[in-house]
Amino acid sequence: MSTFDVIAVIAAVFLSPLVGGLVAGIDRKVTARLQGRYGPPILQPFYDVFKLFGKEKMVVNYWQIFCAYMYLAANILTVVLLALQSDLLLIFFVLAVGGVFLVIGALAAESPYSQVGAQRELIQMLTYEPLIILVFVGIYLETGSFKISQIVANYHEPLLISLPLLFVVLGYAIVIKLRKSPFDISTSHHAHQELVKGVMTEYSGPYLGVIEISHWYETVFILGLCALFWHTNYIWMTVLIIATYFGEILVDNITARLTWRWMLPHAWTGGLLMSFANYFWIYAKIK
Amino acid sequence: MVDVLIGVSILLPFIAGALCFMIGNTKARAAVIVTTGVVLAVSALMLFQNGPCTYTPETLLGISVNSIITFFDFALLFIILGIAFKLGNPLVIILTLLQIVPLAYFELKMAPHVEVAPAFYIDNLALILNLIISIVGSLVCIFGIRYMEDHEHHLQLKKSRQPRFFFFLVLFLGAMNGLVFSNNLLWLYFFWEVTTFCSFMLIGHDRTEIAIRNATRALWMNMTGGVAFVGAIIGIFYKTQSVEYFSLQNLINHSPELTGFLLLPFALLCFAGFTKAAQVPFQSWLCGAMVAPTPVSALLHSSTMVKAGVYLVVRLAPGFQGTYLSTIVATFGAFTFVTASALAVNMSNGKKILAYSTIANLGLIIACAGINTPAAIIAAILLIIFHAVSKGLLFLCVGTIEHAIGSRDIEDMRGLYNSMPAVSRITIIGILTMMLPPFGALMSKWMAIEAAANIPWVVVMVALGSGLTVLFWARWAGLFVSGPQLKEQEVKKESAIKATFLTMIRGFYPNAKWNDSPSIKVPLVLLAMGAIVLSMAVPWIYTILVDPVVASYRPGLFVEPFKMGPFGLTSGVGAFYVLPVFLLSIVAYLFAVIASKKGGHRVVSAPYMCGEHYPDPSHPKFRSHLNTWRDYLAGNVYLQDFIGEDKISYWINILSLIILIVMFGEVVR
Repeated sequence: MSTFDVIAVIAAVFLSPLVGGLVAGIDRKVTARLQGRYGPPILQPFYDVFKLFGKEKMVVNYWQIFCAYMYLAANILTVVLLALQSDLLLIFFVLAVGGVFLVIGALAAESPYSQVGAQRELIQMLTYEPLIILVFVGIYLETGSFKISQIVANYHEPLLISLPLLFVVLGYAIVIKLRKSPFDISTSHHAHQELVKGVMTEYSGPYLGVIEISHWYETVFILGLCALFWHTNYIWMTVLIIATYFGEILVDNITARLTWRWMLPHAWTGGLLMSFANYFWIYAKIK
Repeated sequence: MVDVLIGVSILLPFIAGALCFMIGNTKARAAVIVTTGVVLAVSALMLFQNGPCTYTPETLLGISVNSIITFFDFALLFIILGIAFKLGNPLVIILTLLQIVPLAYFELKMAPHVEVAPAFYIDNLALILNLIISIVGSLVCIFGIRYMEDHEHHLQLKKSRQPRFFFFLVLFLGAMNGLVFSNNLLWLYFFWEVTTFCSFMLIGHDRTEIAIRNATRALWMNMTGGVAFVGAIIGIFYKTQSVEYFSLQNLINHSPELTGFLLLPFALLCFAGFTKAAQVPFQSWLCGAMVAPTPVSALLHSSTMVKAGVYLVVRLAPGFQGTYLSTIVATFGAFTFVTASALAVNMSNGKKILAYSTIANLGLIIACAGINTPAAIIAAILLIIFHAVSKGLLFLCVGTIEHAIGSRDIEDMRGLYNSMPAVSRITIIGILTMMLPPFGALMSKWMAIEAAANIPWVVVMVALGSGLTVLFWARWAGLFVSGPQLKEQEVKKESAIKATFLTMIRGFYPNAKWNDSPSIKVPLVLLAMGAIVLSMAVPWIYTILVDPVVASYRPGLFVEPFKMGPFGLTSGVGAFYVLPVFLLSIVAYLFAVIASKKGGHRVVSAPYMCGEHYPDPSHPKFRSHLNTWRDYLAGNVYLQDFIGEDKISYWINILSLIILIVMFGEVVR
């Protein structure tokens, strides 16, 4: 491990929640403005989490605590592996660990709301996981490597130019992964769509705080994936990240929740078609 | 030394099986089974220690081994023919005759007494399978001792049928060992048919109507494979006019100009492998086999039988590398992987989930064999190892749970952690080792995806299938822990390490005891430990065991696809840091356990029910009309209306038949 790696790991562990929390704050502000409200201060997510940590510890089942921490650990590990520029598929599989423990935690509580939420979260995972693998395979076909360090070292033009359709697929997967409307099926941050909060229903106090922080890591990871599509230039990278996230917020606010019966077939068909189109593009270019 | 060890591996199970058949006393039989298991395991380890070797037995008790095998081959076929007449099943009769007649013609007219040297070719692949069969298989047999007692107790049999059961169960191990050691194609065929026959006997063991029907189905489907095998034997001789290629090694390392001639035999042998590995459209025999007692399912579908099918395909893979056949095999395997995973999603019967997931994993192994790069073959072999251990464990867990709760439906396993913490925890370990990093099964899947990345349609099917597998595993693991918190934790001053250790042993309930007999406990605990330890040892397993297999395939052409780095394997295209990820996972696990164990003020509340709290927090209920309390029911989503078994099975069978027709059409052309 070089000094750079050590710095990267430290930054990933300690800066990610700050960035993720800020992004969440901006998200809430922009959303409020889109809805014609003034909105909370940008730092509101941090205040919320601090407050959660001050609350009484309350659970339905001890497994929830275990699962909340496993969810956190998996998400931290995902960001660390991303910072170490490791293998894309490995990062993806570690990400899946987090999702699985979130579901197990929700299933542990014997509450109809979190049970239903868990089933829905599973279907969301089922929907976005193949899409993300397809995007990574596309990156491999274009660059010849799954390893981020090798992609960065050997590939010298923005991936967005040769993989535009796969970027759309990734955008699709991100909406589902971040549980934003219209795919906030398993849990939602919009009060008008979800009064009982799906997978999160039985989490409260400090443990909800842990889940919240994990989600910030998740956000950073997702933004990191987007950054990979313009790794050659930091300015354009930032522009791409901001544009993508703003796009996600926009979609979040102009759509109403759909059912998984709509989501699963449409996301798979659309994702598959676009991936294949992009693969053919890559092949045509090589030939 | 080698001859003794090979003799023990193959003949001891036959002798022990016969002993089991003759001994009426349960205790004495148990002693025979345990001794056989231990001896087999030790002999497999010693063979492994000895390393790759070859051996040709000349005579057994003064008679040439070749003649003995030919004799028993025909004897077995005639026994099956007799059974077919007794069953009155014309299909089985025809399929048996289709093997007897050509084989007799071949033995009498075409090439009598084919001698192949070496008769046993034991390379690392054979050693790996020998280890799996002898260790996992023996553990399953040991589990069977107690299980069958309970089983017969449930059935209230007047006369125990265990002698017959263990005869076939133990004998199976010998047949499998013979199968993986054989280099002579005709010997391989003999052992192949023995496994078909034993599986028929074991699946039909309970003699219920459905058991006999499913056993017959398994028989005819595997017999189609047998016919293809005989076809391949005759095809090889017909095309090459030489007995040289009855040596498996010669067949694989044939000269390049022969490839075109040998493609049809290769395709036929792959087809035989597909039937044995229950690939679509032959999936129904494996699902039907679930009516058998659990040790049978565990043995047939984790470490033996189905592994024979994938073994043959993986073994032959270098022989058809770079051909059209290879691509079709990859497509076929990937298709099985995605469809069987989809079918597993809509099962609520635990054993059927395991059955479909087995078919799916075998499909993935076959897909890897078809992709046919060194990295893919490595993925295939690692999958064989990890699948055998984890799936064997899971079958045994479901068997144990079924005897305790009287159901194998996963909906009935809701909250089982509260009543059976130890078995539940082991089952959860089994499930997690099948689906999550850093465990071996997932690592092999990672290798498979990287290897498949160059064939887009294959990688798409693998990606979809992999998403589906996460769905059915995760919810099953979650169901175990679902339920109320039984009692408040005893808050004692314990050191963190002690607390963690105790939690691993007993869960959150300090007084939970595990009352099963050692015959149940030992296999479960050993397999669970094996699943974890083997995953940690992946880099070493790779360097010591798997790498040489691939290196020996195509000497000279071989470039080591993965390198053993300080932190695990790295390949040209990716990296998998097994050990660091493992370490971090352990740290995270300990941290999470301590967080959930540690004392202090903590409230265990009833779940949120929209304001209506039933007085007993462990039974959440809704307030309904007239102020009555109503239970709620939350079930899994099985996607029945999307991909229901009865809806899509038909189309899956049609599509897979089309792939098979394309395969043969192209090869014949």
